[in-house]
Order: sequence, then C-alpha cells, then structure tokens
Amino acid sequence: MTAPVLSVRGLSVRFLMPSGRRIAAVTDAHFDVAAGECLALVGESGCGKSVLASALLGLLPANAQAAGGAYLGDVDLLAADERTLARTVRGRLIGLIPQSPAAHLTPVRTVRSQLEETVVALTGTRGRAAVRQAAEAAAERAAFPAGHLDHHPHELSGGLAQRAATALALIGNAPLLLADEPTTGLDRDLVHHTVDELRRQVDVGRRALLVITHDLAAAERIADRMAVMYAGRIVEISDATAFFGLPGPRHPYSRGLLGALPERDFIPIPGMPPELGDLPDGCAFAPRCERATPTCTTLPAAAAGLVCHHPHVTEDLRA
Amino acid sequence: MSRLPWGAMARLAGRRLLFAAPILLVVTFGVFAIAAASPFDPVKAYAGTAALGADAETLERLRDNLGVDQPFTSRWWHWLTSAVTGDFGQSSVLRQPVAEVIGERLVWSSLLCAVAFLVAVLTGTVLGVLAGRRPGSLLDRVVTSVAYSLEAAPVFWLALLAVWLFALQLGVLPAGGLTDTASEQVTFRQVASHIVLPAGVLAVSQLPWFTLYVRQGVSDALAEDPVRGARARGLSESTVLLGHALRSGLLPVLTLVGSRVPELITGALLVESVFSWPGIAAATVEAATAVDFPLLAALTTLATAAVLLGNLLADLLYGLFDPRVKFSDM
Amino acid sequence: MSRRSTRTVRVRISAALVAATVLAVLLVPPLVQLDQQAVDLSSKLLSPSWSHPFGTDDLGRDLFLRCVYGLRVSLLVGAAAALTATVIGTAIGAIAGALGGRADRALMRLVDTFSSVPHLLLGIFIVAMFRPGVWPVIVSVALTHWLSTARIVRAEVLSLRARPYIDAAISGGASRWRVAVRHLLPAVLPQAALAAVLMVPHAMWHESALSFLGLGLPTHLASLGNLIQGARGSLLAGQWWPTLFPGLFIIVPTLAIAGLAGAWRERINPRRRSELML
Repeated sequence: MTAPVLSVRGLSVRFLMPSGRRIAAVTDAHFDVAAGECLALVGESGCGKSVLASALLGLLPANAQAAGGAYLGDVDLLAADERTLARTVRGRLIGLIPQSPAAHLTPVRTVRSQLEETVVALTGTRGRAAVRQAAEAAAERAAFPAGHLDHHPHELSGGLAQRAATALALIGNAPLLLADEPTTGLDRDLVHHTVDELRRQVDVGRRALLVITHDLAAAERIADRMAVMYAGRIVEISDATAFFGLPGPRHPYSRGLLGALPERDFIPIPGMPPELGDLPDGCAFAPRCERATPTCTTLPAAAAGLVCHHPHVTEDLRA
Repeated sequence: MSRLPWGAMARLAGRRLLFAAPILLVVTFGVFAIAAASPFDPVKAYAGTAALGADAETLERLRDNLGVDQPFTSRWWHWLTSAVTGDFGQSSVLRQPVAEVIGERLVWSSLLCAVAFLVAVLTGTVLGVLAGRRPGSLLDRVVTSVAYSLEAAPVFWLALLAVWLFALQLGVLPAGGLTDTASEQVTFRQVASHIVLPAGVLAVSQLPWFTLYVRQGVSDALAEDPVRGARARGLSESTVLLGHALRSGLLPVLTLVGSRVPELITGALLVESVFSWPGIAAATVEAATAVDFPLLAALTTLATAAVLLGNLLADLLYGLFDPRVKFSDM
Repeated sequence: MSRRSTRTVRVRISAALVAATVLAVLLVPPLVQLDQQAVDLSSKLLSPSWSHPFGTDDLGRDLFLRCVYGLRVSLLVGAAAALTATVIGTAIGAIAGALGGRADRALMRLVDTFSSVPHLLLGIFIVAMFRPGVWPVIVSVALTHWLSTARIVRAEVLSLRARPYIDAAISGGASRWRVAVRHLLPAVLPQAALAAVLMVPHAMWHESALSFLGLGLPTHLASLGNLIQGARGSLLAGQWWPTLFPGLFIIVPTLAIAGLAGAWRERINPRRRSELML
C-alpha cells in the first residue's frame, strides 16, 4: 500500500475560554489519507470538523492548544513554526478550499489580481505576461470562466466563488487538497458539478483529498472512505461502498445519520449533540443511543476504525 | 484598474454641488445675522478713529455707502450677488479688495496644508500598520499612548515647543516666516527650509487620528476571513499585511478623511499664527482682531466651501476604491 | 497583562487624575492665596527648583500656582460652555427625534450646515463680532460644539420612540408633553450627561486656542490659554517652562476626563468593534 500523504495521530484541540472553561473541539483524531484517495469527514455542524482543518494548517486562534501529531511527508504540522507553515506547508503542501469562499477573498481586489498574487508567491513565474498567463491557466483548471476574472468577489455567484477558491488552491500543486464544506449554499446540480470537479483532481491529478462536509449525499458521490465525527471524536472510519451500501455503517450514530436522510428512512436522531465544553466521561453518543448500556459510561477503545461498545457488526445482521 | 466611471463621478459631484448651495446660503446668511446681532458697527470699523472727528454729513454718506440702515437681509443679498461674480468687497483693515487679499495668501496656506496632510497620511499609515499588525504588543501600546496624548495636546503649544527646540536650542530650523528676514526674493530653498517646522507641527497634530484609525482598520481586517484565506494560500506575512489587511483597513479611513478638513483648517489657523506664515489663516486672526467684517465673511465662506469640497473628494475616493459601493448610492 | 486588567488600570489612573484635578482646583486657591497682582521681580523667571517646582513666570509668580488657577478658570469656562452646548444640543436633538418628518430633516440639515464650518473659524468670527469677554467665549464654544450632542440625543429619542411602552403611554391617553418629560427625558439624560462631560476637554481646548490668539478671555483672568500666550516672550528668550507646564495642565486633565468618560461610555453604550472615541 502506498504511504499516506497525510497521517493524523491522536490529534486533539482544546480551546481555553476567558471564563476558564475548556472546550474540547477535537479529541484523539486518528486517520490517514493516501494519494489518489478521497476521505470524507462528516458530522453535524459544530462537531469540530472545521477546527481540525484549521489545526492542520496552523490557523487556529490564539486561545487554542493542539496536541498529538499530524504528518504530511516529513513535516510535523503541529510542531511546525509559523515560518515553516507559511513558507512550505500552506498552499504548497496543503491546498485549502475554504468554507464561504467569497468571504475568504479580499473584497477590494479582483479575482485576477488575487490569482496572480498567489501565482507569484507559490511558483517561480516572473514577468507580467507569464504571470497573467499562469493565472488564467489556473482559473481554467478549475473551470472558472475567463470573462469573470476582472470581477470582485462580491460579484460572484456561489458556484463561481467556489471555483475561484478551487483555482487558488490548485496553484501550488499541493499533494493534499482540503475542501471545507464545498457544497454549502449550492443547489443540487451545482453540488454534483462541484464534487465531480473535486473528484477529477483526485483521479486525474493523483492528489489526496480530505473533504469536510455535513452533506452525506455529496460524500457518497465522491468519497473512497468515510470518517464520521461526533462531539469532537472520530467514531468510525469505513470504506465508502460498505458505508453507503451493505453492510452499512457500524456505529449507531452513523446509522442514525444515514437514516435521517430524506432519501432513506427520514428519521432524525432523537436528542441534541452535547456541548463541547461539557462532555461526559464515557461515550458522548450514549445519551441518544438505543443500544446504550452501563458499559457506555466508559470510553470505548478504538478498534478497526471504530469507537463503540456496541457496534452494528455483520454478525448482528446475519442474526 | 478598469476605466474610471467619469459619468457617475460627475453626477455625484453635481448632486453635492446642489446640496452645497443651500449650505453656503445658510452659512453666509448666518454670518450676516450674527453681525447684525452683535455690537459691530461697520461705519466705525471702516473709518476707525477718523469717525470720531468726522461731521454728520460724512458719516451719513458713509452709512449710505455701506448700506448700514438697510436690514441685514438686503445687505446679505447685496453681498451674495457681488460674491458670485468674485467681488467680495473691500477689506477695511488692509484697504485692499478682499479677493486680492485672499488670492495672495491662499497659495501659501494651501501649500502648508497639502504638505502637512501628505506627511500625516503617510506617516499615520505606516505607524498604524506597525501598531495594528500585532495588537497589544509593546510597539502598539507605545504608538497608541503617544497618539492619544498628541491628540490631547493643543497644536499651538506643540508649535511653540517646536520653535523652542529646533529654532532656539538646536538652531537647525528657522523660527518663522516664509523666507529669511534678510532676503529679498522668495526662493525654493528658503521656502523649503521654512516650511519644515510649520508643516511638521501641523502634520504631527493630524497624525494621531490617521494612526489610530489605520491601526483599528488593520487590526480588524487581520481578524477577518479574507486575511485567513490569504494566509491559508501560503502568502507571506508582509503580502498579507499590505496587500490584504491594509487594503481593506484603509477604506474606513478614506470615508472619514473628508471630516478632517475642518480640523486641518483649525490647525492651520493656529500654526500660521505661531510661525508667522503668510497664509489666509494669519489674515483671519488679524481680521478678527481688527473686526474686518468683509474679510471675515469671505474667509468663513471660503472655509466652508473647502470643507464641502473635502467631503466630495473623500466620497469620490471611496467610491473609486471600494468596489462594493456604487456612486449612485452616495 | 490581559486586556481587561490594562483597561482597569487605565480607568483607575484616569479616575485618580480627575480627582486630583478637582481637588487641586477646589482646594488650592482658598488655601494658598495667590495675589495675581503681586509681583516679585527678584524671583523673575527662575527655572524649576525645589521651592518652585514649575519655576516662576516673568513677573516672579510661582508657575505651579498660576497653572492651578489657570486650570480653574479654563475648567469653569469649559464646563459652562459644555453645559450650554449640551442644553442646546439636547433640545434640538430631542425635538428632531420627537417630531420626526420634515422638522427632523430640517434640523439635521442645520446640523450638517454647522458641521461644515470649521469650529475655530466660527468661534473666532463670533468672538470678533462681539466685544471680547467671558460670555462671547462661552457662547462661541457652545455654538460650535452642540452638534454631536444633538446627534446622540436624536438617535436615542428615535430608538425610544420605537419602543412599545411609549406607544402604550400615548394611546393610554397621556399627552405628548407628559410622555416626553416622564419617559423620554430620563432616558436621554445619561447620554446627554456623558456627552457634556466628554465635551469639557474640547471646550477647554477651544477656549485656550481663542485665548492664545488674543481673541479669548481677557488676560487678567489668566486661563491656561492666556498663560501660554503670555509666555511667548520668555520662550523666545529661551525659557521653556512658562510654556510647557500650562500645556501639560491642559493635556493631563483632557486625557483623564476622556479616559474616565470613555469607560463610562462603554458601560452604557457597548461600542461596535470598529468605533473609535475620537
């Protein structure tokens, strides 16, 4: 098996609030992403997915503490200082396609000028004509129409803004693409279009893709593997075909998530996710889980990409 | 940048001019109303001590000429109609047409204000960026404290201390005037050396505002999404700071820069007095002391017009630099 | 040091300075009689020393005492002007906010007009027209500084008008006048009071500028502005202290009042992130 591009081991992120409270946004994350593979990180809003992305890029706010390890090639992302992150990691090793792409662009500058600026910063291209050409080529790679290059971010539609963000992320030719909620606010066919474009980067470009999303339908379309996050913890990692087809997800929460989809049972999971500052000692999902028992007051050990005392295993189905 | 939207800009200028006309009317009316309500006697002001010895007929003729017996509204109208043709009357103290007095001095005042403004904007921006890039750092706290203290300091006091330090103690710069006392001509070198202190002091008095607003704009922008996006793309910190945070952070300053014109004029008034700079501000003080009404009325009108022009310029700049704003909305 | 503790320290220092100012201004004159006319030419223009911490002026008078007296005059005139400006501004702002419609627009146009004339210029004009003295100075300062109060009060009144209890009071039969006095006025008072306090430093500044130009208070009143003007002669001869200290006596109370009032303002008006108190 090929060596993974990204290797995350025991990554935890804690926020220290002014009141003294500690928010455990991410706890003990453990996963790999290989080249030419797409891993979808799914979970409800507020479960800590975007914080994980920020941690990988070193863009956490000042009151955050990250522990554990995240390795991209030889670089230890968590231990790297700001200089290394700015000069070797961001844009060059990890290409981020941020959530709300239009908001992540400077409103007073045109798309073209921001593309050209990134070209100059990340590649060796010099000279006005060459830079201009490179920027236009980058736009084309993400199917961003050349006619809109001289527009400003607020003039772009949701789909165009997404493509602009993708174009910017691809300039550095990074081995890992990190797409944070790439389908929010887009309508159905645009969603398909966008995820297909991203998938193309994986297949054709042989990149590793980590997609963070709460849209399971989109994940189904694009992912090779699924990682499910609940209350800051990755509770299940499975192969996508097994997850969406048979034998189906193993963790009760994942089952609940799929079951909540309109295309499936359309039954929501009862209850609410816990406050990240107030997590119970044992399994965080136990209060909402129909399979919970007193054992669940202790934290389950991680085994075969699963963190659960009472998973749905194939024996159950046969029985 | 794409072609300038001349049409929209011209329409905005036109709208502002339309708006400015009633303001100027009200201000000039107010000026005459205040004069009418005051113990000011135009005859005495014009004739000075000679009025004491003059006979009744001369005084009567003077009164007629000056239109003293007419209600102030008609005097105002008379003045207004002459003013639009460029005739602002005769200065009672300097015995010259007011327009001439202003014309002679406007150049020097404009030079002083322009230089000071430029220095204040540039220095303020640099200091604001340095302070704003790391809010709470030592540099930030020093810059902010100094800025607030300078804001509280009266500009004429700063001017006096500057004269003491640079002209008297160190002897490196002249203490006042436009040219050296002995020289006959006005040369570039002399003006250049004489403008350093007054423009410097005026700049220092305007500096804190720019510094504090740029600092606020930059530190706000650094905390927002566009900067996060720029950082995530792997741009260097200086590119992020100057190409993104500063670009966004300067916008609030641009909108408000027009509101600084009144302060600039106020500062110029005081600085020109201290340094005997031959500008209109110095003439204003003379006019006020001698109660030279025609000159005062003209100067007040001029100052108001300058303020309105400053506002217009600020709006034009803002419309040009912020692509989210349309001229038709302003 | 965390943000909150620096702010608390700043507020405490400001409060202490304001208290010191008030005490000095109230206590020193009765305790240490300074005869303004007393002239001791033998002690003329002594630089700062132990017996005269701020030195002496050109007529041998102790500069520290002169500054304290000057501060008293400047503060009194400044406070009177600020109060007058606040009354005018509150009245206009309240009327504009309460009446709304055409009256509001007209009054706001008036505000815009006044703000187009540079303060000092209008102030100079007013003082020039009337014989120089205390009242013209107060009026001149007041007439140029009522604008911000008017805007603040108007905004407050507009937001209050929208509240249901005002509507209820009016539809319950209370006359508009009664509503205005019993409900609007008390709510507006804190904002108006804050505006008045914040205006005192500006008023002091304005009066000093006028006095410095020779257009302000009569010289025998010896406000801080008068003192600086009077010190010009000695400055050119090299004596810096008669100029420096009166200026410091303007700056320090200004910063202290602004600091304290700023903290008060944050209490009653949590400000948006990008607003500055300038």
